[in-house]
This record gives sequence, C-alpha cells and structure tokens, in this order.
Amino acid sequence: MTLPNVILQICQVLCVLLLAPLLQGFILKAEERIQRSRGPSIIQPYRDLWKLFHKQSVVPESASWIYLIAPLIAFTAMLIVPILIPVLTDRPLPQSDMGDMLGGGMVLTLGSFAIILAGLDSGNVYGGIGSSRAVMLAILAEPTLILVLVGISLLAKAMLPFVVNHLLLGSLSIYWSPAHLFLILAFFVLLLVETDRLPIHSPTHLEIYMIDEARILEYSGPLLALLKWASMMKQFILYTIFCNVFVLPWGMSQIGTPLGEIGSIVSLLAKFLLVALVVIVIETVQSRLRFYRYQEPLAAGFMFAVLAIVSSQLL
Amino acid sequence: MFLAHVNPLQASIFSSLAVVSLLLTFVMLGSHWLRNYVFAFAAQSWMIAALSACVGYFAGYPELYMIAVLTALFRGLVLPYLLLRIIGRLNVKRELHAVLQPSSSLVIGAFLVMFAFVIANHMNSQSLLASRVVVMALTIMLSMKFLGFLMLTVRDEAVSQILGLLVLENGIFLGSQILVPGMPLLIEIVILFDLLIVVACFGMLVRFLVVHAGTTSSRQLNRLVG
Repeated sequence: MTLPNVILQICQVLCVLLLAPLLQGFILKAEERIQRSRGPSIIQPYRDLWKLFHKQSVVPESASWIYLIAPLIAFTAMLIVPILIPVLTDRPLPQSDMGDMLGGGMVLTLGSFAIILAGLDSGNVYGGIGSSRAVMLAILAEPTLILVLVGISLLAKAMLPFVVNHLLLGSLSIYWSPAHLFLILAFFVLLLVETDRLPIHSPTHLEIYMIDEARILEYSGPLLALLKWASMMKQFILYTIFCNVFVLPWGMSQIGTPLGEIGSIVSLLAKFLLVALVVIVIETVQSRLRFYRYQEPLAAGFMFAVLAIVSSQLL
Repeated sequence: MFLAHVNPLQASIFSSLAVVSLLLTFVMLGSHWLRNYVFAFAAQSWMIAALSACVGYFAGYPELYMIAVLTALFRGLVLPYLLLRIIGRLNVKRELHAVLQPSSSLVIGAFLVMFAFVIANHMNSQSLLASRVVVMALTIMLSMKFLGFLMLTVRDEAVSQILGLLVLENGIFLGSQILVPGMPLLIEIVILFDLLIVVACFGMLVRFLVVHAGTTSSRQLNRLVG
C-alpha cells in the first residue's frame, strides 16, 4: 500500500518537528557521558519545551511588534524547509518544487535574520552584542555556503537536492571523487558553525561569549519555547541535508509505504547517530577559539569549497 | 607516453595522492607552529613517494621504485629530522609576527589554486594533451609552487622560509613524477642530494644567525649594522 504524496509530505514535516528535540537531547546526554557524568535524560528537551509552553510570557517595555513576531517567523521558516529537502522519501513530493537549494538556504537564513532583528529590538545590551556577533559569523559563513552550493551544482548539473541524492546513489566513482569529499568537509565546517557547536560557539550557554543565547535572552514562556524549538529544528534540518544529500544518501524510502517510512525514520536516526558522534568528539577535544580567530575554521571551509570546485573541473 | 592511455582507477589514485599533498601544503599555510610545518612536509613527502611508486607500477618504470624509496628516506625522514633538530636548538616554537594571518593566507592560497588551474587549463588546450590527469598534475604542481612562494614571502622565521623552498621543490618533483616519469635516475639522485646540502647549509646559517644576530627572524635583519 502506497501512501498518497500529500500524506508523505506531511510525514516529512512532522518528523522534523517531533524528532528535533530528541537529537538535541541525545547530543547533550552523550557529551555528558563522555565526560563521565550522568547528564540529563534524553527526553529532557521535550520536558523543557512542555514547561516553557505553560509559563507566562513577559515582554520588555522597549520591545515593538518585531519582538512578538520574530519567533513565529523563525518557527514557520523551519517548518517550510523540510518540504524542500529529502527527509524520508528520495523523490520530489507536492510543493517541493517551491524552491531549490538556494531557496531552502534563503528560508533558513530568513529565520536567523528574524531572530537577529528581535535581539536588536529587545533593547537589551546582550541582544545587541549577540546580533552583531551572529551577523559577523553569517558574513564569514555565507561565501562558503554559496561556494558549496555552486560546487554541488557543478557536480550534479542541477540545484535540486533530490538530483544530488540520486547521483551519489548511482555512482560510487562520483561519491569518492575529491570534489565530493572536499564538499563534505566544507559543509561539515558550516554544520558546526550553524548548529552552535565548538570551535566557535561556547558549550555552556549563558556566559559572556554567548552568541545565540544572547539574542534570545529577553524571551520567556511560549515565545522562548518556539525559538528553542526552531533552533533544534534548524539543527535537525542541517543534519538531514548533510546526511541525505552529502554523506549518506542510502536508506531512504523510495515508494512510500508505511513500513518504508518507518524504516527510513530508523535509518535517518542511525545516520544522525554517526554524525552526532563525530560532532561530540570534536566538541570534546576542541577548545573554543578566541573571538579574533573565528575566521580560521571558516577560512578552512572556504578553502575546501574552492578546492572542491577546482577538482570538480579536473576529473 | 603512458598518460595517453591511463584508466579511471589509475587516474583516481594519482589525483587523490596529489590532492592530499596539496592539502598538506594548506596545513602548513594555516598553522602557527613550526613543528606542524615539518610534520606536514614529511607526510607530503611520503605521499609523493607513494605516488612515484604507483606511477612506476602502472607505467612500468622499475627505477621509480628506487626513487620512491629514496624520496621517502630523504624527504620523508632525513630532512624532517634535520629540520626538527634545527627547531629544537632555536628558541622559536611558532611564527609570531606573520605578515598575513593563517586564515587570510588560506583564502589567498585558495585563489592561487584557482589561478594555477586557469594556467594549467590554458597550457593543456594549447598542447592538446587530451588527458585530464595532465591538467590535474599541472594544476597541483603550479599551485604548490605558488604556495611555496607565498610561504617564502609572508613568513619571517628562517625555518618557515626553508620549508617554503622545500614545498616549492616538492611541487616540481610531484609534477615531474606524473608528467615525465622516465627522467633519468641520476638527475633525481642529484636533486635529492642538493636538497640535503641546502638544508645542511641552512642549519649552519641559522646557527650563525643565532650567534651573531641573536635572532632568526628576517624581520629583525633588515637593519644595516656597521
């Protein structure tokens, strides 16, 4: 029995929505376990969200309507992106032709743009600092992102993530070509930067070098819950793109039976387990870089992307 | 010429070895620590030794095995050992006052690789060598030369300058292994011993500098003393 395409598309969005806190919980738990402490329960992010949704919301006097609308924009943007990318099925579903990879990147950036505006709007000094740091990071990360997209479209001759997935599934020689391996490295640097991980973002939040926490410091209650949920979903989406489009294109439902969907959720979680373990190892062995050395990992990512483009022209 | 009928497997082995050695040049470019430069140089030499052994195997030049062993021995072990000795005697652990920060030199290096690719592509379309391995080898040879020049230009410490020179030389050697694998064995041996002499002379120069000028940074040596 094959499920209708619309249902499959809804499943993709629901999967991102409901499993994103689980990924966050797993990473937090595993990091603590590596340091030989017990760590929070793996479902702690769900409990946090539940608690925050039942709290009262306090709005600063200096804030305007932007402050109220930004969490909604960020959350909605993260609900739109899963429509455009292969999460569970490896073929285009209804409305997935709304945008290509550049379009998906734009919607993702729109979410963080809204949070930057909200950080400035709240009138808190930390909000301003956080927004300025986030913009600086975005300026440094954007060239790499664009070059990665250019590289992948040179490789696949298309800007659609589904085409890239099929290309990598189809030919092992392209999978192991230097161009593709460099693209993986470049995207991995972006993944670390965009999901608030070391070497740039501090693992303990609420300290003087915070970037993402600083922007949402004034939020409370349901709005804070929406923002936290949106950032977990962003992490989930970036992991999905990294796994399903770049590194591990295998194990996705092709026809769309209920069993296939469940199998593809299981394989998605297994892939995330692998990527999350690599990320956790990096978080454990790396120390945070000084503010004036933030450009170094991003310059390395830029270099990988350039090398990928050059070597995609070679072979 | 064996490059005219190279098969995809050989092409991918050659290109991955060459690309990894290019990557190790970038490791040198992006690091502050002198010790890392030497380790990256040693790894790069091992890559080039593996490359010449592969070329020898696929193209049927038995003397390339000899060259591979000599390369691994001299460039991969003896030269790094001598350089580590020089570094150990100096009181310098890292490049402190680089003209360019590592991240900027990485970005400039990326642009130099693009420039090298443009030149290599141009040379290829003129000489009508239909193989893409040629473009790959030319690109990596030229970019390693450019990166060696970049290191010579922007680094102050004497040890990083000699490493820049060695990287430049490694680039030419890598290109020659792929492009003209049948070079006489004698010339290769002469080059290897030349390098050994260069490093030995350099060690003496560094000791002279330490004794008479008190520093090995070229930044301190631009003043005339009477």
